[in-house]
Amino acid sequence: MTDRSSPTDHPLLEATDVTVRFGGLVALDRVALTVPPATIVGLIGPNGAGKSTLFGVLSGLIRPRAGTVRIDGNDVTRASPQARARLGVARTFQRLELFGELTVRQQLVVAYRAKRRRTLFDLARTLPLDLLGLGNRPAPGEDATVDGALELLGLTSVASVSASAIGLGTGRLVEVARALASQPRVLLLDEPSSGLDARETDELAEVLARLRAEAGVALVLVEHNVGMVLGLADDVTVLDFGEVIARGPAAAIRADAAVQAAYLGTST
Amino acid sequence: MTTYFVAGIVVGSVYAIATLGLVLTYTTSRIFNFAHGAIAFFVAVTFYQATVNWGWNAHLAGVLTIFMFSPLLGLFLWAVLFRRLTESPSSVRLVSTIGLSVALPALAPILYPHIDAVLQPSMLWSPAHEYTIFGVHVDSNQVAVVVAAALIAVLLTVLMRATPYGLSVRAAVDSQTMAGASGVNTSFVTAVSWMIGTTLAGAAGVLLGALRGFTILQFTFLLLGSFAAMVVARMHSLTLAFAGSMAIGLLQELSASQQFQHFLEHFASATNPIILGIRPSIPFIVMLVFLLVYNGLQEERFAIDTRSTAEPVREVVVTRDQPWWRRLLPIAVCLVGVLVAPEFLNGLWLAIVASGLALATAFLSYVVVTGDGGMISLCQITFAGIAAALAAQFATNHNVPVLLAILLGALIVVPIGMLAALPSLRLGSLYLALATLAFSQLVQNTYFQTSRISNFGQGVAVPRPGGLAGDRAFYYLLVVLFVLVALLVRNLERSTTGLNLAAMRSSETATATLGINIVWSKFVAFGLSAFIAGIGGGLYASYAGAANMNQFDALLGAVWLAVVVTWGIRSITGALLAGLSFTIIPQLVTDHLSGRWLNLPTLFFGLGAIALARDPRGILHGATTRRYERRMRRARRTAEPAERVGEPAGAA
Repeated sequence: MTDRSSPTDHPLLEATDVTVRFGGLVALDRVALTVPPATIVGLIGPNGAGKSTLFGVLSGLIRPRAGTVRIDGNDVTRASPQARARLGVARTFQRLELFGELTVRQQLVVAYRAKRRRTLFDLARTLPLDLLGLGNRPAPGEDATVDGALELLGLTSVASVSASAIGLGTGRLVEVARALASQPRVLLLDEPSSGLDARETDELAEVLARLRAEAGVALVLVEHNVGMVLGLADDVTVLDFGEVIARGPAAAIRADAAVQAAYLGTST
Repeated sequence: MTTYFVAGIVVGSVYAIATLGLVLTYTTSRIFNFAHGAIAFFVAVTFYQATVNWGWNAHLAGVLTIFMFSPLLGLFLWAVLFRRLTESPSSVRLVSTIGLSVALPALAPILYPHIDAVLQPSMLWSPAHEYTIFGVHVDSNQVAVVVAAALIAVLLTVLMRATPYGLSVRAAVDSQTMAGASGVNTSFVTAVSWMIGTTLAGAAGVLLGALRGFTILQFTFLLLGSFAAMVVARMHSLTLAFAGSMAIGLLQELSASQQFQHFLEHFASATNPIILGIRPSIPFIVMLVFLLVYNGLQEERFAIDTRSTAEPVREVVVTRDQPWWRRLLPIAVCLVGVLVAPEFLNGLWLAIVASGLALATAFLSYVVVTGDGGMISLCQITFAGIAAALAAQFATNHNVPVLLAILLGALIVVPIGMLAALPSLRLGSLYLALATLAFSQLVQNTYFQTSRISNFGQGVAVPRPGGLAGDRAFYYLLVVLFVLVALLVRNLERSTTGLNLAAMRSSETATATLGINIVWSKFVAFGLSAFIAGIGGGLYASYAGAANMNQFDALLGAVWLAVVVTWGIRSITGALLAGLSFTIIPQLVTDHLSGRWLNLPTLFFGLGAIALARDPRGILHGATTRRYERRMRRARRTAEPAERVGEPAGAA
C-alpha cells in the first residue's frame, strides 16, 4: 500500500514496561512487546491475562500507569487513538465494534477516507462540498483499496448488506477488512477467529499470511486458537495474570513448561 | 450579610436534598434524571393543592405528600419507565427523562385545575417560631430545612457505606448481570433507590415551595442548582454533591446581598439585566468551571461509557426493500399538502401553518445535532432566539435587508454555539446536555432581558422581506427555505461527514481507532445545527413581525426536543410534522377545549418523547415497521421462508 520502509532501525511498534491498574487489580505488570516491520507477533494467554488491555494500551484507548509505547522509536504513550491511527496502527475488537447503521462496504469507505481528513481545516474545507451534495464522491484510489480488501476477505457478496444484519463470524472479517482499508502498517487483531468455523479460520490464516508477505503489514494476533498462532507467528509472547511468562519463536513456546502450566494447570 | 448567609445555607440545604436524590438514582441505575426538578414541582403542587384547595392540615399534607405520594410516584415511574432504560443507549436515557420533565409539569394544571397561576409560599409552621442562635435570627422553617438536609446526608452516607443495601448498590453498579447472578435482587435495589430519590425530590419541592413559593422560576433554580452540584460531584460523590449544593445556594444568596449589589453599582446600575442575571447564572458558571477542570483530569474517557450513543437502527432493512417512490412518499405527501394548504386556509390558520413551517426549519437543527450527531442539545431554542434578536437588530436598527439580516444572525450564532459546546463536548452526551441547558438559562436571564433586545417585552420588530410581505407570498418563501435547508441536511447525511457521524453513533471507540477526530466532527455538526436553528428562529420572528424572546424561553427548549423526538429525530419529514403540530395542535386545543386542557399538547409531546425515545424515526417509522413486519409475516406464510443473511451481530 503506501511507503513501508521504516526510516530507522527502530521496531515499528514497541511497548516497554507497560503497567496498568484497574483499582487494586494489576492488569498489566511491566509488560514488553516488540513488533518489527512485516512480522507476525502472537499474543496468547488464558482469560484475564491482560491481552485485550495491552491492545487498549497499544491503540491508545487505555493510558498505562507506567511504561512507554513507541512507534518508529517515537514516544506515543500519551498520543490519542486518532494520532496513532494516522501513524499506521489499526485494530479489530474482541467484542465487535461495527457501525450498525452502515453497510459493510461503507465501513471500509469510512476507514479509507479517515486519513484524508486530518485537521480542522480539512473539515472546514470539505464541509461546503458536503452540504452541496458533492461530499460523497470516492476519494482517489478508494474503490480499488476498498473493493480489494472486500475481495481479499471474501466479503464482496455482502458488500451492500447492513452491518447490523450480518453474523458474528462475518462481522469479524468485516472488522479485519475495515482495518485494512485504513491502510495500516501494523494491524492489531483481537481474537479474529472466534466465531469462525474451522474452514473459515484456515482461510483467515491464509489471508493474514498473504498480508504480511504481499503488503508488508505487521500483525499482532491475540488468539484463543493457540494452534493458529503457533502456526502463523514469527514470535510469540505469553501473558498470564498481567505478566509476560514466556517469549520466543513459536517452536520454543510450544515446548515451554511455564506456558503449559498456565494453560493446562499442571503445577511445576 | 448574615441574613443572606442564613438564606444561602437554607437554599443550599434544599438543593442538597434534591441533589442527593439525583446522586442515588444515578449511581444505582446510570440514569441522570432530567425530570428531578419536574418531580419536585409536581409533588410540591400536590402539597399545595392538598393544603390550600382541599384544606388539609399543612403538617399532615407535608408528611403524606413526601412520605406516601412521592415514593409511590417513584415506584410507578420506575415500573413504567426507568426500569426499561437501564440498558438503553445514553441518548435514549436522556431523551426519556427530558420527555418526563416536559410531561409532568404539563400534567399538574390538568389534574389540579383550580390552582392559581401565581402560588403563594405556604409555611410549614405558620406563623414561624423565631429563634436567635449565636446572634443570628432564624425561624423554625429554616432550621427544619437545614436539619433535614444534614440528616439525609448522614443517613444516605451510612446507607451506602455501611449497610447490605449499599453493598448491593455498588455491586449492581459494576454489573447488573453479575450482581444478579450472585443473588442480589437488582430490581429491588433500583426500585428502592428510585423511591428514595423521588422522595428526596418531593421533599425538596415541598420545602422550597414552603420557603420561596411555588413558582416555576424557583423550581428552575432548584433544577439548575442541583444539576450544577451533580457536575461538581461528578455524578457520584455524595460529599461533593452536598458541598456543591451548599456552595451554589450560598453564592446565589450572597450575590443578592446589599453589600454585593452595592459593590456592583461601581460598574453598572442595579437594574442592569447583566447584574440581575448574576444570580440565575451562578449554576452555569459553577458548571463551566468544573467542566473545564474535569476536562483536564479526564484521562480514560473511553472507559466511561462504551455503550453506543444511539440505538442500532433496524430500519435499514425496511427501507432497502422499498422502491424509491415509496421512500419519498411521506415527504412528498407532506410537501404537496403544505403547497396547496393556502387555498383552503383562512388568515389565522395560514399564520399558524406558516409559523409551523418556520419552526420546522429550526427543528431541522435537531436532525443534525441529535439525529445525526447523537448529541442531546437543550439550547437549540436559544440559538434560534439569539439569531432572531440579532436579525431584529440588523434589520430594524441598521437597515440591513431582512433576509440578509437573518443569515447574518444565524452565522453569528455558529461560533457562539461552538463556544457553548466546547467545555463539555469531550465528556459525553450527559455533560453536553447539562451544559447546553445551563447555557440557555444563562442567555435567557442576561442577554434576552436587556432592554435593547426585550424592548419592554414586545421584542424588536423584524420586517418581512420586501416584495414578499403578503401572507401568502411569505408562506411560499418559508416552504422554499425549508426545502433548501432540508436539502443541506440530506446532503450532509450522505456525505463523508455524515458517514463519519453515523459511524460514531454506533461506536466512538472504533471511529477513534480509525483516526477520525470525534470531537471535531461533533463540533462541526453542533455548529451547523446552531446555524439552522438560527435561520429558523429568524424566519419565525420575521413572520410574527417581532423577535419576542418569550417565544424562545429556555424551558420551552425541552418541549421543542420532545416534539421532534415524537415525530422522529432522524427524519426530515419528522421535523416538518413536528413544526406543524407544534403550532396547529395547541390552536386546535384552544379552539375546542376549555382552559384546563391548554397544556394537553405539551403533555402529549412529553409522553411521545418518552414512548418514542428508542426509535430515532419516531411515530412515522413505528407505523412503517409494523406494516412491513405484517407484510413479511404474510410473505413467510405464503412462500418459502425468507432467506436470512445471518444472526444479528449485536448478539456478540
